[in-house]
Amino acid sequence: MALLTPYSKVPELNTATVLLVENEEELQSKLANALVRNENDFNVNVRLARKLPLPVENKETRPRIDLIVFIVNLLSERSLQSVESSLAHLHSDCFLGKVCFLVTDGRCVLRHVTLSVSQTADGVNAAAVRLLNILKVSAGMSPIATTALYLSSLTRCSVTSELEED
Amino acid sequence: MADLSNLAGLGSEPSGEIDSSASSANNRSLRLAEKERRKGEADPFGLAVKYLSQVEAGTVVRGNDELERNMVVVETVALSKGLPPEVITVLLDLALSLNAGTTNCTRVLKFLIPATVVPQEAIVKGASWLCVGKMPMNAQVLFVRWVLTVFDLIDCKDNLRSIYGFIFSFVTEENLCPFICHLLYLLTMREHVHPYRVRKLLDIQAKMGRQPFLTQLLALYKVYHPDLVTLSLPSRVRTGFKNHNSTWKVALSAVQRKNKGAVLVDQSLSLDVKEKPSTRKRKLHHLAIPPLSSAFDSNSNKKVFRLQELRSFKELLENIHNIELPAQMGSLLGSALALHYLDCVQDESASLRLNFWLGHSLQEEFLLCPVDGSSDNTSETCRFLSTILFSQQFLQEGFSSTESFLYKFLSVWDGCLLRPQILDLLSDIPLMPSFYMHKLLFEPLKQLYFTSTVFFKCSVIECLNSMLVKWLTWHSVSALEGGLDISLNSNSTMTMTLSGFMDSVMELVRFVGLLASEGLRLENCHVLLLNQTLAFYETVCDMFLKYSLPLIIMPPAGVFYPALFATDSVSVDRLGYIMYRYRKNLTLAKKQEQQREQTFHISRNTYKEFNRNLQAMVNSMWNSWWSIPGSDIEIDKDLIALSKVAEPWCRFDLIHHPALFSYAIEFHQRIGKYWNWYMEFLFNQGFDGLNNFIRTNTGHSSGLSSQDDRQPTT
Repeated sequence: MALLTPYSKVPELNTATVLLVENEEELQSKLANALVRNENDFNVNVRLARKLPLPVENKETRPRIDLIVFIVNLLSERSLQSVESSLAHLHSDCFLGKVCFLVTDGRCVLRHVTLSVSQTADGVNAAAVRLLNILKVSAGMSPIATTALYLSSLTRCSVTSELEED
Repeated sequence: MADLSNLAGLGSEPSGEIDSSASSANNRSLRLAEKERRKGEADPFGLAVKYLSQVEAGTVVRGNDELERNMVVVETVALSKGLPPEVITVLLDLALSLNAGTTNCTRVLKFLIPATVVPQEAIVKGASWLCVGKMPMNAQVLFVRWVLTVFDLIDCKDNLRSIYGFIFSFVTEENLCPFICHLLYLLTMREHVHPYRVRKLLDIQAKMGRQPFLTQLLALYKVYHPDLVTLSLPSRVRTGFKNHNSTWKVALSAVQRKNKGAVLVDQSLSLDVKEKPSTRKRKLHHLAIPPLSSAFDSNSNKKVFRLQELRSFKELLENIHNIELPAQMGSLLGSALALHYLDCVQDESASLRLNFWLGHSLQEEFLLCPVDGSSDNTSETCRFLSTILFSQQFLQEGFSSTESFLYKFLSVWDGCLLRPQILDLLSDIPLMPSFYMHKLLFEPLKQLYFTSTVFFKCSVIECLNSMLVKWLTWHSVSALEGGLDISLNSNSTMTMTLSGFMDSVMELVRFVGLLASEGLRLENCHVLLLNQTLAFYETVCDMFLKYSLPLIIMPPAGVFYPALFATDSVSVDRLGYIMYRYRKNLTLAKKQEQQREQTFHISRNTYKEFNRNLQAMVNSMWNSWWSIPGSDIEIDKDLIALSKVAEPWCRFDLIHHPALFSYAIEFHQRIGKYWNWYMEFLFNQGFDGLNNFIRTNTGHSSGLSSQDDRQPTT
């Protein structure tokens, strides 16, 4: 099974590529526009997909993907299922800082969420900025040596048991 | 009617055939008929209501086109503009009496949207129809849910309270029980709590199990009469009542938004309110209170002054012993007078009800409803949160329901929505045991912090700084009242020892230290972030002297060295001030320990750390020798030589430091080379912190008058 691996290709100069995976294709385009519209020091390529695995035909021409973002709509169960099945096509090395989860319409309490987006225009812009921050680090462009793994360890949420909240 | 219509029919034909002698009479009848017809067209709504009010029992429903037509007319008006009070009475009567059939009963209830108020007689009559017992169960449930939804719009609740017993009797119906309990919760006053009612509720609880709505109602009974309710109840019951208003919510808010200008808002509590009371449905102050010409009804024994009627602080003071709280507790928020009263009286039932209402509103209205992105929605929420903030700052204490709401919200927050309000509310969170801090507060904040912009990072540090200040202030106030065991806030039963408190503070300071050092690294020592961090450590360094907390925590290396080698002078000055204050705190602590006045103990590591930092700073700034072997910042000599900088050792002293170099040049241009004069010049630029630091650590005075070092150290 062809897995998506993080380091099998050589990166391009001053470029970072992010892959947005979303089943419903609602937030994808808005987020992609916001990402590209931002002023960046480096080139940002945004690729869109509905699910993994990516089509085999483009395999050679596809650049190295620095960050994979899975967008999950919490109000739709199919969205979560599609993400779960896509995860099987990722090489395990990708999980060390190259993968990010974005949730929308999340109003109940969640524990392992990485990023949450509210659907307003401001929310999308703010999410785009945060994604760019993460992308910068995972593409290796952070000025002070911060690796993607280190950043993910900083933002890691520990697994918790149900806490008696009073 | 029949002959008029005939005449109208005749009149429509060409008039030539009509007898001229009868034409004037015909004309008058024609005119009357026209008028009647036009009136009918102009007010179909009124006619429809009139028709519906005359529907009698046993009317055939199926195939009754006229009934259907009139219902549709009324329905459209109801869903667009809302219904006036009289119409509500008529329609409610029609529905609940089942004169129009059971399907129409539920149909009418579903579109019964009031435009302004709901007269209480309608509800009382409805309750009596409920007692008749002919309505099917789903209609009964729908009716009670409707009463709950429009509860805030009922003009006066006195009559409802008088039939409390009748409403209570429905508690035994299993389907109605949750909603009846909710209604009783809203209506209960002290005089309603009786032993037989308590016993009944306990019986039901034995049968149905510990349902949240029963517990909530029992908790309120317990507050009024703790002697009657002896079972133990959790101190803070979370939202116990089911959601009741889903059927009407959308239509009701649409109608109210349309009628924004026309909705009555009572202004009597508007003293000292910082902003206009919003017309949001749940924040409406008591609508249309029965105006009492004199506050005291001379006939009745009960001389009760309603809180809504107070106009000035003086009146509050005079009548403080017999004030009645409004049924809608939410209206107390935002009014300084009401908050004064709440604070003085410390009525547990009032705070319970207020917290419940607040928690329910935040949960239902904010957390669970989808954000549709309209600016109207957001500004309304913004104002609501600002009102809560105002009340919390007035009471100088947070509400427990905002606290639970924030914990739930932080994990789904995107860091952007309503940021200033959320961060301000966050800083009002009371102290919590260190175990919970990580999971509830630190984890979500960390995730947001490390992926956001530098300005968000600054806001978070500022928020945590103000949280620390509030905790410390609260501790120093309650420590004065004696005892090591301190209760966390006036409403909570959790207590905490001094060591537990110190643990929590230490956790918070360490967490901020982590955030700051990593943040500074990621943001390349951004000057704003550095300054916010130093402001935080200005609070931390004085914990012993200012707040009498025997805890001294040094800034981590990730904060100290960026500040020492910063390129802006304000940071360097602030660092000087902080080190100066640390020295004062440590010397006092040491002295007290030696004199055995205190029982605390500052560990040797703290002193060692301070000394190391002090050495680094004095050596680099005064002795022109910053890379001491064995220090944190030792760099190999050959490596430094590679940089080809002339005289590398003095590059961080008072003259050559990048932040202060411009002053040195300016001095040199102006005056010359004299060292003392340079020092005096430098500290004249306002670098008090650095001045104090140099003076206390090197004994060298610049000749400027110093502020407090001449006074004996306390």
